[in-house]
Amino acid sequence: MSVGALTKKILQAMLFHEIWDAMKVTFKHMFHRPITFQYPREQRTIPDTHRGALALLRYDDGRERCVGCDLCEAACPSRCIKVVSAEDPSLPLQRYASEFYIDITKCVFCGYCVEACPVNALAMTKLYEFSTHDKRTLLFDKTRLYQIGERYIEDGKKYLIAHHQEKDDQMSREYRYYFPQSVLKATQAPPKHLS
Amino acid sequence: MVETVKLTIDGHHITVPKGTLVIEAARQVGVMVPHFCYHPKLKPDANCRMCLVEIEKMPKLQTACSTPAAEGMVVRTATTVVNEAHKSVLEFILANHPLDCPVCDQGGRCDLQDFSHEYTPTTSRFIEVKRVFPKEYFSPLIETQMNRCVQCLRCVRYCDEVMDVKALAPSGRGTMTEIKHFTHHELDCEFCGGCVQICPVGAITSRLSMYEFRPWMLKRADTVCTYCGDGCQITIQTKENQLIEVMSAQGAGRNNGDLCARGFFGYHVSTHPDRLQHPLIRRNGELVQATWEDALEWVAETAIRLKLAHGPNAFGGLIGARCTNEDLYLFQKFMRLVVGTNNIDSSARYGQINGVRALRRVQGTSRWTVTFDDIVSAEALLLVGTNVTETNPITGLKVKEAVKKRQATLLTIEALEPAVGTISNIANLAAHHFSVQPDGFKPAVLGLIKAVVEENLVSQPLAQKAPGYVQAVSEAVRRLSWQAIERATGSSSQSFIDATRSFTRTARAVILVGQGVLRAPDGSGLTATLLDLLLLTGHHGLPGCGVAPLAEENNDQGAVEMGAALEYLPGPSDANDQAARARLAQAWKEELPKGPGKSLMEMIEGARTGSLKAMFIVGENPAGSLPPSAGTMEALQSLDLLVCQELFLTETARLAHVVLPACSYAEKDGTFTNTEGHVQSVRHAIELIGESRPDWEILSALSVLMGYPLEYGDAKEIFKEIRSLIPGYGLLGPAPTPPRPDQAVVESYLKTGYSSGLAERYTLGERRAASGERKDFSLTLLVTQTLFHSGKFSTRAKGLLQVQAEGAFSLNPADGTRLGLAEGDRVRVSNDLGEMTTTVKLQDRVPVGLALFPEHFDQEARRLLRVSTDPATQVPYYKSASVKVEKAK
Repeated sequence: MSVGALTKKILQAMLFHEIWDAMKVTFKHMFHRPITFQYPREQRTIPDTHRGALALLRYDDGRERCVGCDLCEAACPSRCIKVVSAEDPSLPLQRYASEFYIDITKCVFCGYCVEACPVNALAMTKLYEFSTHDKRTLLFDKTRLYQIGERYIEDGKKYLIAHHQEKDDQMSREYRYYFPQSVLKATQAPPKHLS
Repeated sequence: MVETVKLTIDGHHITVPKGTLVIEAARQVGVMVPHFCYHPKLKPDANCRMCLVEIEKMPKLQTACSTPAAEGMVVRTATTVVNEAHKSVLEFILANHPLDCPVCDQGGRCDLQDFSHEYTPTTSRFIEVKRVFPKEYFSPLIETQMNRCVQCLRCVRYCDEVMDVKALAPSGRGTMTEIKHFTHHELDCEFCGGCVQICPVGAITSRLSMYEFRPWMLKRADTVCTYCGDGCQITIQTKENQLIEVMSAQGAGRNNGDLCARGFFGYHVSTHPDRLQHPLIRRNGELVQATWEDALEWVAETAIRLKLAHGPNAFGGLIGARCTNEDLYLFQKFMRLVVGTNNIDSSARYGQINGVRALRRVQGTSRWTVTFDDIVSAEALLLVGTNVTETNPITGLKVKEAVKKRQATLLTIEALEPAVGTISNIANLAAHHFSVQPDGFKPAVLGLIKAVVEENLVSQPLAQKAPGYVQAVSEAVRRLSWQAIERATGSSSQSFIDATRSFTRTARAVILVGQGVLRAPDGSGLTATLLDLLLLTGHHGLPGCGVAPLAEENNDQGAVEMGAALEYLPGPSDANDQAARARLAQAWKEELPKGPGKSLMEMIEGARTGSLKAMFIVGENPAGSLPPSAGTMEALQSLDLLVCQELFLTETARLAHVVLPACSYAEKDGTFTNTEGHVQSVRHAIELIGESRPDWEILSALSVLMGYPLEYGDAKEIFKEIRSLIPGYGLLGPAPTPPRPDQAVVESYLKTGYSSGLAERYTLGERRAASGERKDFSLTLLVTQTLFHSGKFSTRAKGLLQVQAEGAFSLNPADGTRLGLAEGDRVRVSNDLGEMTTTVKLQDRVPVGLALFPEHFDQEARRLLRVSTDPATQVPYYKSASVKVEKAK
């Protein structure tokens, strides 16, 4: 070590240079706008692409979008989705999900299920506050998922648009895929098993 | 030597037999030519145009499914031209396909989906609106979604060519072609499920499992159907321990992928909510839930106490022939060693024993000397009392194939009229049909033998070898007059002569014997008479010829071969055979019990008189099968110990002191032996329901508690032991190797054996009133099996109940007119034993003077029946009764 370097080191030690150096950062931050949010008094603005709680959506006319195809279940990497599908008792041959469960404690929020959905019935919302005293309430059933869907419908739509799964409202109506509905002949009595 | 041709497919050289289609040859070298309308079972139709391939020196693309391979052919399946063709064919198909794959049950295993992924561009040039068919209700079990149809017509062709039912037809033209049934009401057919299996897309699906699953969720288990003796291989598909569907792959098992309604739609029995899930024990007169330990210990204690007090012969054992070979083997070992009695019987006693006895007596085999393949390639087939398309539908398919595709001559002696109906009727295919009353089978068979003798059609080698036998039989039939035979059968002597001529002309002849003979008085004698017919015509002993008694229950044959009968030891060898007894005693390290043993009816009699104190009943329901007049209920009630191993709380189980829950075929491993003697593996598809256990495990546990442990690790260990006793048993190959008739036995039969009972076998017997003579309100009630059920077991299958939920009193329209009855009328049927009220169904196929009632719903009808027991084989007969019919008020 040279004499100059040694002198500098001693001088810095005497003047507490490291402390001043560190305090520089602290003083600099006194003039910044605070970064810390006072959560939950303050809420953050969340981008449209945010992957929050899953929701089931309805069409504008109130029909359930979900056709119970189980593709979300197949796509789910953490196996947290369970769909039980059946024939719609009011519409012969129409498939629908009679039960739908998402175990949100297992969910990894990857959004694969939304991508897999052929009818854009699933969407992710900006809801991320799940804290609860009872873990059982985190097993979302069909009713709960539709409640979330109704409450956060705008989030859901924005999510789908942000992820290029749906066009804006007008266009999505045009491009939306409807499964052809078989029409019962008016002359025919309703089938035995449905009456 | 088969003529072969050499061709090149995509650079692969291959030699195939002449006549092989290019698509099949391509499959052999591993080149898959896409196709919809082609199926190996069906005649080529070439309507979907998907299998176009390029063949050198042919100007245009050819359909691989209809072009036979020729010498030197050079086929290319993956050129630009071919791919373009595939693209445009698919573009046309997809122009109308709704692409509703996410909601389609076929999605994930759909040919159209696979080919679309492989061959199409993602866009279509068609912008027109897709066709939408108005939906009509189709049927309770089979559903159509015509929007998805690709119009390959496989379903229509299968229904016609394979099943011979012709229930489906295409209607409309071009893209508007729709698959329809013929009537305005819902589909009414055999419900074989063939159309569901063969549809390449999701146009025809099963309603029973609709929307319950996606193909990738399913776990599969290859096992054997339990509903009849045919032993069809089925694949049970399950999702999370739930039975979802049954299918059978093309080429699988003895059925080659064909199934009947019972196999395809009858699988829900195993998970029926009424299944017993816990042991039940009788306390204060009530059956209450108990633990396995309590139940088994109580049984063991009581059994030991009774054995000490009354000796081993106060015990009886009865097992159902729906159990696996392992269960049957262990059961008879349990009865013979642990209990120490020969009082063993199984439900093979109801009929199968008759057939086996006759075969053993005449030719020394206990099995068929033919296989299903021999039925298909037979030139003449004689069916006696089988109604084969309903009782053994897959054997029926083999007969249909022989007749329709290979032009075999079919002779039928059945209690059936040829009539076109919604389900197939074997009499329609017969070249010579004798429609007889159930007591007319014997006169008709004797008529055939008389024709053989009188027309000098007796085989010359036989006449030289056994002149005494031919002489005796000839004399016996000459004593019968043609008039008496004509009166008993209602057919002319000329028709017998014609039928016999066409039968003797052929080189390969098979006689199928059904329940009408086997489950009738002197069934064994008539089966022996049929063997006489085959001996006289000279067919006996030739390859591909033989008499084949059809088993009703899936393991009837196994029950006999495992020795679950008092007269047989495993093998089967006769219970009095000293060498077999010594061999068995050595293997079991224990002396076998001596004494004659009691048969089913003798055990019931013993229970009534008090000489029998305890019974073990496994999977059999004598109180439910035998008519009340047999007094089974009372007899079983007077027992000191009745232990039942059952799936459900049956009539018999309700009387038991202890009911132990057994598991069904879907939950256990083992083997079944089908009617042709083929041993096939049964594999579990779902986990055990509740606390139920396989039958062998229960018996094994009991044997330990009773101080004589018969312990096995699994069913395979029992099977190993069976194979050590019966060398080569169950080689589990693709097809059975039938035994040859034992020449020594045949010769001793021809020398002296024939004479015992000859006089009884060659008499016409007493006749009941013949058809046309009836003036009063009486009919012969015959309790029969129907296509949609099997015993009482299948009446808990929800799918089958949707097709047939209750019994109906079927009679000929002529009888209906005579008695003033119309379809749907309520009738009161009565005789001196009792009465019942039921609904009338008029069917052309029922002969005049006869009324049929399905045995599956015969709780009421059984009251009218009386039991008679065959003195020789101890087979109980209770299938028919004379009844008075009147319209119910």
